[in-house]
Amino acid sequence: MKVLAIETTGKYGSASVIDNGGHVFSASSSEEMNHLRGMITLIDEAIHEAGITKDELTHVAASVGPGSFTGIRIGVTTARIMSQMLDIPCIAVSTLEAMAVRALDKAISAGALYVVPVINARRHQTYAGVYEAVFTSDCEHQSAIPVMEEKQYMIEDLLSELQTRMAEHSGAVAFFTGDGIDAYADIIKSTMTEGSYAFADEDLRYQHAEAVARIALGKAAAGETLTYNGLMPEYMRLAEAEQRLRAGTLSDRIRFPAK
Amino acid sequence: MKDGRFLTLGIETSCDETAASVVADGRFVMSNVISSQIDIHTAYGGVVPEIASRKHLERINDVIGKALEDACVSAKDIDLIGVTCGPGLVGALLIGVAAAKAMAYACDIPLVGVNHMHGHIAANYLEHKELEPPFMALIVSGGHTEIVNVPDYNKCEKLGGTRDDAAGEAFDKVARVIGLGYPGGPKIDRAAKEGDPDSIAFKRVYLEQGSLDFSFSGLKTQALNYLNQERQAGREIDVNNVAASFQEAVVEVIADKAVMAAERYGQKQIVMAGGVASNSRLRALMEEKAGRKGIKVLKPSPVLCTDNGAMIASAAYYAYRSGVKPDLELDAVPGLEF
Ligand SMILES: Nc1ncnc2c1ncn2[C@@H]1O[C@H](COP(=O)(O)OP(=O)(O)OP(=O)(O)O)[C@@H](O)[C@H]1O
Ligand SMILES: [Mg+2]
Repeated sequence: MKVLAIETTGKYGSASVIDNGGHVFSASSSEEMNHLRGMITLIDEAIHEAGITKDELTHVAASVGPGSFTGIRIGVTTARIMSQMLDIPCIAVSTLEAMAVRALDKAISAGALYVVPVINARRHQTYAGVYEAVFTSDCEHQSAIPVMEEKQYMIEDLLSELQTRMAEHSGAVAFFTGDGIDAYADIIKSTMTEGSYAFADEDLRYQHAEAVARIALGKAAAGETLTYNGLMPEYMRLAEAEQRLRAGTLSDRIRFPAK
Repeated sequence: MKDGRFLTLGIETSCDETAASVVADGRFVMSNVISSQIDIHTAYGGVVPEIASRKHLERINDVIGKALEDACVSAKDIDLIGVTCGPGLVGALLIGVAAAKAMAYACDIPLVGVNHMHGHIAANYLEHKELEPPFMALIVSGGHTEIVNVPDYNKCEKLGGTRDDAAGEAFDKVARVIGLGYPGGPKIDRAAKEGDPDSIAFKRVYLEQGSLDFSFSGLKTQALNYLNQERQAGREIDVNNVAASFQEAVVEVIADKAVMAAERYGQKQIVMAGGVASNSRLRALMEEKAGRKGIKVLKPSPVLCTDNGAMIASAAYYAYRSGVKPDLELDAVPGLEF
């Protein structure tokens, strides 16, 4: 198997190719929000690094969100069309899960029981989830098992739910990752008790295709694949106009003219 | 290539239509798939950019797939991909651009970006197989009202444009004011057929002497004022009369200026493009006014007037032939100039 993974949900885009042996070959953008312009170049570089041609790819995976709506769409559209044109299946990977996997080793060496990826959605909003770091049955690998639903949380609600859970395990540590740290470090510090949390360093804090590729490889092996029309973004939020339409508060203010 | 013909796939997602088409030799439409979102946006009274972007993503694969299927070709047969890279809604544009790039890369096909407005002009190459530049182009759409001199394929010189609302925008706004709903253009066109164009005196805005620019934003205010005045006087409002009078005020100015531009530049033909070019009264008036000066008026059929992939394919074909370099780092440019 040769799985291409695409990550465009955060500030910097990346692409990785992973093979059966778990070897990962990656290319990352150093330019912020350059997803649309740079994506094909990154994909081509990763494929080149892996020493293969695009026709040898067996699957294409995308980080499907949550994250920047625009970023999500660029990655998902690219993956869907490559799947259709190369006639290979798609794999959907949760952006939050990939962030948790990316930080997992560091979290475990920091003695953390929980990994908490937090994406800043502004005004105290986040997209977040909570994962437990556990050993797989062979006791050799760690994996991240979801223990709290991935969804939109107010940062305060996320922390209080997390603390309730942590109260059952005295001495448990939560390892935070994601740009939610950049936005809400002060709130986290003032809410969590001393010694019960740690922050991922910046080099592992942000989305990267490598973790997407690792999760995708497992899903490919398990046959958890999709056709291109099955690969859908996970926005975790309705469009604002749709929220208002449903709530019956659609005003002229957000009605756009035909152009 | 198939049967010795050069095949271009055109992709268009600049607003609320997801469209793709295969065109042979820049002129022959082999398929033209248009998936409109109008039903979805109607509930909001206009296009909601975030929703448009979401729908484009969901539909783009099948629209491209159907365009290939309807043309009885496979992706391997395609020689060139053209995609609208602007102007338009940025979130909508980037679905088409990302899709076009992924396909170009996966299938090793050259890709060129197309200016949506050049596409509207190129719609005429599909309709009129004998048409060649030079000509004068009149683009009247939801976002544009422009008079453009076209000396050669892939050369456009803008001579005038709207200073405020586009013609289509004026139709849509006035339609909303008089309760006809969205999209306003076709509804006003229909209602106007039952109304008297001389019943209400809407101002004809010609701006400075000889100007090829337009201004339509005052028409909505005039319509509102008229409605208020009639309501206060307790008179019943005849929507058909308002539609006919308003429409006449818009199309008369457009037709006069288009003919003036053609005369000034010595062009013997005027080519119409854009959604408002479907307007039946504008079409008739253009024929009449241009005909008197011996100028020929050409227009695409309605399906080629609205946003479609075929016009983008045709424009891409001529751009590529005139040396535009393929580009896999193409960006979406919402405010792309002519
Ligand atoms: N018969 C008609 N009479 C008048 N206006 C019409 C008619 N049919 C369509 N329109 C108008 O044409 C516009 C849509 O045209 P088109 O799809 O070319 O524009 P657009 O793609 O939204 O804008 P642009 O091409 O400038 O980005 C709408 O404003 C619509 O009301
Ligand atoms: Mg248009």
